[in-house]
Amino acid sequence: MRLDSLLRYAGFILAFAVLAIPFLGLPGLADIVFRTCTLAIIAISWNMMAGAGLISLGHSGFWGIGAYTAALCANHLGIAFLPSLFCGLISGALIGVGLALVTGRLRGIYFAIATLAMSEGFRIIAIMLPDLTGGAQGEYLKSTLFPGTQFVYIVASCGAVCAAAVSWLVSRSRYHYAFRAMRANEQAAQMVGINPMRYRLTIMALSGALASFAGAINVWNGGYLDPNVAFNLHTTLMAQIAPILGGIYTIAGPILGALAAMGLGEGTRLWLGQIEGVSLLIFGVTLVACVLYLPKGIYGGLERYYASRMRPVYGNRADLKDPKP
Amino acid sequence: MNLLLQFLVDSILLGGLYTLMAIGFSLSFGVTRIINFAHGEFIMLGAYGAFWLFKIWGVDPLIAMPAIIVLGFATGWLVFNSLIKRVLAAPNINQILLTFGIGLVIQHIAVILWSGNSRSTTPEYALQALTLGEVFIPYGRLIGCAVAVALVALLIAWLKITEGGRAVRAVAQDEDAATLMGINVKAIYALSFAISSALGVATGVVVSFIITVTPFMGFPMLVKAVAIVIVGGLGSIFGMALGAFILAFTETAFAYYVPEGSGWSEGVAFVLIMVILIIRPHGLRGQAEA
Repeated sequence: MRLDSLLRYAGFILAFAVLAIPFLGLPGLADIVFRTCTLAIIAISWNMMAGAGLISLGHSGFWGIGAYTAALCANHLGIAFLPSLFCGLISGALIGVGLALVTGRLRGIYFAIATLAMSEGFRIIAIMLPDLTGGAQGEYLKSTLFPGTQFVYIVASCGAVCAAAVSWLVSRSRYHYAFRAMRANEQAAQMVGINPMRYRLTIMALSGALASFAGAINVWNGGYLDPNVAFNLHTTLMAQIAPILGGIYTIAGPILGALAAMGLGEGTRLWLGQIEGVSLLIFGVTLVACVLYLPKGIYGGLERYYASRMRPVYGNRADLKDPKP
Repeated sequence: MNLLLQFLVDSILLGGLYTLMAIGFSLSFGVTRIINFAHGEFIMLGAYGAFWLFKIWGVDPLIAMPAIIVLGFATGWLVFNSLIKRVLAAPNINQILLTFGIGLVIQHIAVILWSGNSRSTTPEYALQALTLGEVFIPYGRLIGCAVAVALVALLIAWLKITEGGRAVRAVAQDEDAATLMGINVKAIYALSFAISSALGVATGVVVSFIITVTPFMGFPMLVKAVAIVIVGGLGSIFGMALGAFILAFTETAFAYYVPEGSGWSEGVAFVLIMVILIIRPHGLRGQAEA
């Protein structure tokens, strides 16, 4: 069996498992699945932008905006769970569009810096506007609207499956080729008739919406929000570590990476206990090691393993291989 | 009136410090074209070095500084040769993620070794202040600024006079031409990165008696350094100093003249970054290239 079809079957099984687990009534397992799902969503979202050559260091910005929108809509306007998630999603898409318009001409490092400035700027604004956001003391969600933990878990699972489906659909459309061309060389892509602005707007709206959705659903699970939690650099870090670990620019990568990162985090917690800083240290080492030794991540490793095992008897099929991940 | 004077004095003292911080950061960025997201962590390491030497042996931070600078230089050289060197030709994204990862590792080693508690170095001069008329000048800031200016002057002298300094400037201007002139570009990269790290730990020593020392102090300072580089451009030390003083004046102005300004002033750097990148995507002085 080819690696891609194997991963496709594994993906279907995983999707069923993720959708089924909240119904089993195992709170510990369901909680881990919930966190893996939110991580997978922001990882997919980060990977989408990276796929178009846009390096984001500001995913905590999208996450935090989604979380605040959902929490404030619920608290001040009395909006229920699902509509508040929708509000969060829309706000993230709008921020993505705004950022795309504002950073239209920026590339590479400068785009990355702009996204970082955006998310840190949001954090300051959230701290400095206590009348709106509750300031540094934070904001608690009103519990009257809370739909129950199980329902939140189910929606998170559905969200993760949808995010994976969206990234698969994008990779099946012509957008995939436009993004790859933009990633390789934006000016050259422009010369062959790709309008980078149009594609940037689309991908950043999509990516922002996904990340904000993850933030919004996370606040419904935690029930509390303050600026340093919402716009935590940690979110940005996890959003990039997961795709790097799993395999950047692929569909399976962010999901594999989210599973691996979650396993790594939980593993260190079980093994070394709750020592402050240890898990982030491990993630840092993982990030450095991946960039140096496994730049294509787990997916790349699997691919190499399969290529070595499944070499055809005659001819070189590697040349005919579909380049699409 | 005296508020205005106080404002000017504070801004200038802060500006001197920011100049050192930004020049340390930009030296490696300008030469290797890799943004070192771990630079803030070098500042943090320098501050902890000064703190522990003061705490355990009572060594004055200014006396400890040369030794810490040498250690910082060696650490920077090692980090460059063992890690950064491997991604010189890699895509931007790998470079960003690598330095981010290195910063994360250093930061959390500090958290594990020294806990997340805030600390501060308190030599005698850090607790006293000079009062000139109605203007209040803390000795700590005054000395910090003076040391920063002295270090920057030393760096400028080194860049202008010595063979190594000329080689660094040549590589920053045009790598290919420098190679043709027989300069070992990789060695110059390593040298610039090491000097940049040395200046980073020096910044840390200076700020250790001005602000509190925590494992997380590096990142905000890194962002300020990035803002200064974007405002001032990469090309010249003069531009960098200009950027540093623009940031220092704006931040101090917010803290003095805006209600609740000291909170808002933390955001000045981010607004400057966004505004300058929007208006002039190549940086204010045109040297930043995408």
